[in-house]
Amino acid sequence: MNLFRSEEHARNWDGFEAAMERTLLPVSRWAEIFSNPFFRERGRSDYISFTRSEAGQAAFVALRSSMP
Amino acid sequence: MAELAELDRAYAAIMGQVVETGTAPHFTALAKMIDVDIAAAKDITHELVGMTPGWVHPGTDYLASFPPFNMQPTHYDVTIDGQGGWYAQCGFEALAIRWLVPGKQVRIDAPCLCCGEPISVEMLDDDIDSISPEEAVGYTAQAVGGAAEDRPFR
Repeated sequence: MNLFRSEEHARNWDGFEAAMERTLLPVSRWAEIFSNPFFRERGRSDYISFTRSEAGQAAFVALRSSMP
Repeated sequence: MAELAELDRAYAAIMGQVVETGTAPHFTALAKMIDVDIAAAKDITHELVGMTPGWVHPGTDYLASFPPFNMQPTHYDVTIDGQGGWYAQCGFEALAIRWLVPGKQVRIDAPCLCCGEPISVEMLDDDIDSISPEEAVGYTAQAVGGAAEDRPFR
């Protein structure tokens, strides 16, 4: 899960796997994906409870569906 | 398995220290922080690692990664309101650090793994203030989250 200066740089990286090229996205898009409540709510005093709540489960489902 | 309330207190205690100092408490310190015995604190540490998903250094009980942060230095340098001392677990989690420091400017600096030239991202809450270079991308060769046994090596 790394950042690269451009798509070309990612493709030239020795760890690049063509099978996962669907994950090659602009940083702004990854920032959007990592804005899901699963990440936003980490500062709560009851975060683990949140992840098991209805809202937390819904966030996790949304997160999974947003993944490329 | 720890009670949910204990897990909540432990998670908040660990994350609070990581956000404050860039370091995670040893389980003996965690025991005092959340008022449980030492054996329970060790178990809770491992339980939380499986949930977050972070990791301990292989073969030890030492927290090495507590996402979005990493205790062990990575190439994702994190600066918060101009102060350094934190590292992100990975390039993607780096983008989520802002949620733990509301109202503060977060800057990520990393070398490109292909060429070593710099990449930076500046964020404040919901705003992405800059991405340099603008065409920077994120990419992973493994599933996000990944298998627990592979986490320390991704």
